[in-house]
Formats: sequence, structure tokens, C-alpha cells
Amino acid sequence: MIITKKRDFKELMENIKNCKSFFLIGCSECASLCGTGGEPEVKAMKETLEAEGKIVTGGIVAKTGCQVLGTKTELKKNREELDKAECILVMSCGAGTQAAVEIFEDKPVYPTNDSLFLGNMTRFQMFDERCSLCGKCILDKTGGICPITACPKGLLNGPCGGCKDGHCEISPDIKCAWVRIYERMKRLDRLQELCEVTLEAKDWSASQKPRTLVTREEKKK
Amino acid sequence: MSFRNILNSGKFVVTAEVGPPKGTDVKEMIHHMELLKGKVDAVNVTDNQSAVMRICSMAVCKIAIEHGLEPILQMTCRDRNRIGLQSDLLGASILGIKNVLCMTGDHVSAGDHKGAKPVYDVESVQLLKMVDGLNNGKDMSGSDLKGTTDFFQGAVVTPEANPIEPQLIKFEKKIRAGAKFFQTQAIYDIEKFKEFMKYARKFPVKILAGFVVLKSAGMANFLNNNVPGIRVPQALIDELKAAGKEKALDTGMDITARHIKQLKDEKICDGVHIMAIGMEDKVPTIMERAGLL
Ligand code: SF4
Ligand code: SF4
Repeated sequence: MIITKKRDFKELMENIKNCKSFFLIGCSECASLCGTGGEPEVKAMKETLEAEGKIVTGGIVAKTGCQVLGTKTELKKNREELDKAECILVMSCGAGTQAAVEIFEDKPVYPTNDSLFLGNMTRFQMFDERCSLCGKCILDKTGGICPITACPKGLLNGPCGGCKDGHCEISPDIKCAWVRIYERMKRLDRLQELCEVTLEAKDWSASQKPRTLVTREEKKK
Repeated sequence: MSFRNILNSGKFVVTAEVGPPKGTDVKEMIHHMELLKGKVDAVNVTDNQSAVMRICSMAVCKIAIEHGLEPILQMTCRDRNRIGLQSDLLGASILGIKNVLCMTGDHVSAGDHKGAKPVYDVESVQLLKMVDGLNNGKDMSGSDLKGTTDFFQGAVVTPEANPIEPQLIKFEKKIRAGAKFFQTQAIYDIEKFKEFMKYARKFPVKILAGFVVLKSAGMANFLNNNVPGIRVPQALIDELKAAGKEKALDTGMDITARHIKQLKDEKICDGVHIMAIGMEDKVPTIMERAGLL
């Protein structure tokens, strides 16, 4: 899921200082699990803004905030509240915020969160990053552990000289990705493969931005 | 004779290190070069060492040539993508730089521009392959070069890495990628180094043992606790302690000289690499004590 973090409230207030009335859009997917845009957070935001003297005309928790058409349809029932609001506050990720930008051509849209990474939830509201969406997966070569993400240098062929007692040069809190890969390949009895295969430099054109993808079959006209 | 030929001739080689300064005042650096001239077989020029921004390695390599030293261009993958690296390699070649040391490079978080974007478009193994390609007239995308390079390429290895196995897998990958020589992380335990050499001797590469002079027992403890892949045995720490504050540095130099002499006399490896880190002026003394001058 997309991991988000609430922006510093002072910073948010600074960004919206010229607006009086707001409509809030949360998201029931990632932002709910992150505790940044679910039902309780939208409610709390309404109260906080009102305490700051702002007007909140209404709000919803969209089912999937990054889905443009679905969210637009869901918002139909809030027509009046939306009309009364000077601007939109989106309490999901950057994608959700930009879905709102597409829906509301004439209203300013502000994000209440910072979007951080594609993450795994390890415990309740604890997340870590395991995939950087590089566009050409190499997990099959690295025992299922992604060095592009787990190694701060994204090294593809083994550890750097900075590995200290199995930990990463940049922090003793991070286990060296290549020690993890080594250990896993050993457990899987695939060390020979690890020794023999030298991975080529990645073709970064696979992550050329902005990326688009169409998987549906185009209807014949 | 060139560094490559000396190393291949079987003579015990000595390399030292020149650290480019931060800023354009190179007087002190040139003074260090003059001290090393005629004594060492080549000098490594570091590449924004510890991710601290300084004069680029290539420019200082050129100055080293002008001052009668043979440079080893250190190249890290931290600051340049594959286009920048190849372009700099071609540039180094036309400046008469013959040796290149391919390294990953310390992460930007260790340095003085912590907000910089680290590159690592390629890493050390791929960089070695890149150099091999340029030597054979091809760039990384397979295009032909008009005029090829003729680099003698090396890499680094940490014989005391913990755990050692992943490090050795990478060492072998570097050899297959074309590394001809290795300079090691600083070593202090000759018996353990001999074990590493027994293994390394299976490969057709030259190994230069790395040395960092111990200035005090405190420095030895600091290295043990903070620097990956360095392990100073307790006996050496005790020796430095016993020497007392005044004589600690002198004792550290003695230890280095003694180790170098042993490596040479027992033909354990092909040479040594002395990383003086601010004590370049001490290198000739150490060499003298080791019987190398
Ligand atoms: S290699 Fe890593 S970053 Fe790329 S797709 Fe696979 S897991 Fe994600
Ligand atoms: S210590 Fe390991 S995880 Fe950290 S940068 Fe080096 S190879 Fe990557």
C-alpha cells in the first residue's frame, strides 16, 4: 500500500491560510490503514479545523481515493456541500490528491499528508519499504529480497565494504540487504547461483516517468 | 616502469594515497606528492572520500603525473551515472591516466552533503565490466569507440569483513569482471591475512595489503568500534598503550613497518598500500623502517 504521514499541522495551516471553507476527502484503503485518512481522522480534522475558526462544509471517506471515476461518482451526493466549500482537503496520498485535482477543475486542492513509499504493514501502523517499483523485477535472482530497495545503494552484486557485523553502513538499525540475501540463498541451497550470476546494470528506462499502463482490451469502434 | 609492469614483474610494490583538498589551494598536497616521488610505485587519488566534497580525482591525477608520480584514479559509483563514468574514463585516458580503482563509494549520508541524491546507477562489479569494455573498444551500450582506453583496473576487498562469505562472492565477481589487482581495507592481523591470501592466491590477481598507521590505542579502539572491516588485535592495542602518549605514533609506525616487512620477506602478497590519512610525510620513514628504501 501507499504509506502516508500527516503533514505538520502548522505547515498545513500555513498552506491553507487564505481559505475559509473546506470539503474533506479521506480514503478507505491505504490512508485508513496508515491512520491518515480514514473515518476517525476525517472527523478529527473537521473538529481541529473548526477549532481554528475554519468552516467544514462536509466530507467523505472515498472507497478508493485514487480511482478518479469512482470517487467522482461517490461525490455526486455531496453536491451542495461541495458547492459551499472554497477548497478541497485531501487526506490520502499524492495520487488521491491529484484524483481530486482532476475532478475539481475550478477549486484549489490541498494535501494533508506526505506520501512516503510503497510499503508493507508489519504490525499495526508499522510500515516498511520493500519494493521501489523499478519496473523490471529481479526478485527471482536475489532470493526474493529486493536489493534495489533494501540496500541504500541499490547494489546488485553483493555487499559494499561498509557492511559492519551484518549491518548496513548507513545505520546499525538496518540489516545489510546483501547479508540477508546471502543467508536466504544459503537456506534455499542456491548459493552457487548467487556466486555465478553477475547482474547487469539495470535498464532504468523501465521506470521512466510518468509511467502509464493500459491492460484492458480496446473496444472496436 | 609503469605500475602495471612493476606489479607483473613480481617486484613488491608500494602504493600510497593522496587526498585532494577541499578548495583550490593545492600547495600542501603537492608537497606531499614531492615527498612520495621516486619512493612509491603509484599513488591512489581518492574520489570525494567519505562522501566529503573535494577536488575531483581526475584533476589531481593529472597533477600527480606532472609531478612525476603514477596515479591510480579512484572512481566511485556514488556521484555519476553510467554516462558520466564512461565519459570521465575516456577523459582520464587522454590525460595519460593508466590505472583505475573501481569502488562503490561511501554513501552520501557519511559525508558533508547529506541531502545529495546518491547515484549508484552502476556498482563496482559493473564498473569493472565497463572499464573492460572501454579497453576493448566498446561502451556500455555496445557502441564502438573511436580510439580505445588501456586501463589497468583494480578493485577493493575487505579480508576482515564480517560476515566474510558475501564479501568473497563479490571478490570473485570482481575478478570475473576484469579486476587485475586488489587493494585491501586496512589489515592488522597478519596471521588472519595469510589465511585470506591462501584463498586469494587461487586467482590470477595481484593483492596489495592495506595499511593505516595507528596513532594511539584510542585510535585503534575507534577503528574497531566504528570502521567496518577493520579489526586491530588486542596485542597491538596493548603495545601502543605500553609505548605511552609520546611514543604511540612512533610505535604505530613501527608496527606498520614490521608488518610490511613480514609480508615482503615471507612473500605473502604482492605489495602494500599505505593510507596515511594526513600523515603523508611519514610514509618515507615507514618505508625506510620496513627496509623498502
Ligand atoms: S526488483 Fe525490487 S523494486 Fe523492482 S519491482 Fe522487484 S521488488 Fe520492486
Ligand atoms: S552495507 Fe549492505 S545494505 Fe548497506 S549499503 Fe552496503 S551493501 Fe547496501
